[in-house]
Amino acid sequence: MTEMDTQEHQIDLGHLMAFDPLHHFPSPPPSREELVKECLQKGTVLVQLIADALFNLPSTEDIDGPLVKLPPPMTRLPREKHLPKPKPPTKWELFAKAKGIKNRKKDKIVYDEQTGTWKRRHGYDRVNDDKDIPIIEAKMTDEPGEDPFAKRQAEKRKRVEKHEKNRLQNLKQAAKVGALPSHIQLAATALPITGTQAAPKKASKNELQDIASMAAAATASGGKFDKKLLGEKPEKHKGKYRKFLPVVEGTGIGSQERQQTEKVLNRLISKNSHEILNVDKAINMYNVKKEKKRKNQRGKDSSTSSKLNPKKQLQKKSLKKGGSSKKGKSK
Amino acid sequence: MRPLDENETTALFEKLFKFTGNNLKNIVENPSYEGPDPNAGRYCFRLQKNRVYYVSESMVKRATNIGRAQLVSLGTCIGKFTKGGNFHLTVQSVNLLAANAKHKVWLKPTSEMSFLYGNHVLKGGLGRITENIVAGDGVVVFSMSDVPLGFGIAAKSTQDCRKLDPNGIVVLHQSDIGEYLRMEDEL
Repeated sequence: MTEMDTQEHQIDLGHLMAFDPLHHFPSPPPSREELVKECLQKGTVLVQLIADALFNLPSTEDIDGPLVKLPPPMTRLPREKHLPKPKPPTKWELFAKAKGIKNRKKDKIVYDEQTGTWKRRHGYDRVNDDKDIPIIEAKMTDEPGEDPFAKRQAEKRKRVEKHEKNRLQNLKQAAKVGALPSHIQLAATALPITGTQAAPKKASKNELQDIASMAAAATASGGKFDKKLLGEKPEKHKGKYRKFLPVVEGTGIGSQERQQTEKVLNRLISKNSHEILNVDKAINMYNVKKEKKRKNQRGKDSSTSSKLNPKKQLQKKSLKKGGSSKKGKSK
Repeated sequence: MRPLDENETTALFEKLFKFTGNNLKNIVENPSYEGPDPNAGRYCFRLQKNRVYYVSESMVKRATNIGRAQLVSLGTCIGKFTKGGNFHLTVQSVNLLAANAKHKVWLKPTSEMSFLYGNHVLKGGLGRITENIVAGDGVVVFSMSDVPLGFGIAAKSTQDCRKLDPNGIVVLHQSDIGEYLRMEDEL
């Protein structure tokens, strides 16, 4: 019995499959349970055979146990999904076929007449870029207020929109037949059935890292005592979001606080230092001095003077002199 | 309780500068003889629950023994920070400002009570006024017996004051010592 089994059983380890082509029920079993029991018995025999074959393979040691590399499968299984449907020809393809236009192969590098160098056809520093045109000559048909460069840009934008519209129309035609290309089919299934129609944004590497570190800290002890995996960076925010000076350093004010207050004070004082010189007061004093000088001059020049007058003038002069000296001191 | 950070210190000093000018240096570097230490310490500013306190160093050190929830007040409260980060001087800073004020205004006895009720200072109530006040400057208001009554902002410069009619506003009221009775809860 065992000889027959090993000879006739086909074991395909690539698919982890065991097949007995000569099995047949000697008589149809009476009930469902009997059938199930017999199938189970036969199945256990086959599974045992698979296990034996697996353990006979050369294995490598791993953390979780012995690891075995399965051989490539021998049986060919039928297709899981349907054959791809041929997609309907696009509008341009129909037009080209009708007109007999053939696709011509284009070079990546093209000779640029303007600069006399070889430039690429598309991309950075390309051949016929709009921004390289220095002068556009005015035609008789142009209006005076128009910007020709802006007009060219607007035309290009319109063209691009038209191309995009046509592309979408082609895709819709293909979808009607059921021949959408697979990447678009996947993107369409990712859209939610209800709610916004916008596709979910793919998170960038940095975003994922941030989210992962936040999740790692979402344990009862803030992720402090967990073992770090290989390549896991330490968290960026250590919990302190604002830095404060210590309340008391030394005997009260620390050097840092002193520095800070001094800095702020100096900044304030220097900002307002233009007010130290009182311009109005300076002008007043200057004017007063000038007036006095003029009066002194006049006093000397006036020869017509009575007996009393010179004395009076002298008295006035002394008072003024005293007054002016006082003013000088009170500066 | 914590010390002020740079933006808060700037806001505080700017407000004080309006009233004291360069005497701000004296406020910041005031020697304090309070406390057991024979060496004179300095005064520093501490923030507790949005209120700024002007405290001597030794007091601060001793105040660290009181927990944050239990600490009510320390030293002299000079002002409050609003939720928007602006700083307002309160009446408890009057004595500090009065000692270092640059611009002063003396009130006649008849208009003292009006000011203490929270009204602005009219020209008719003005006794004396220091020279060289610019409109918008901080001004400390005194009674004729040199008792500080409060402070405010000058509405007109000294020159313009002379040309005003007697009912013109000279000083816009900001704070007065009557607030100790009126706004006891909010201090």
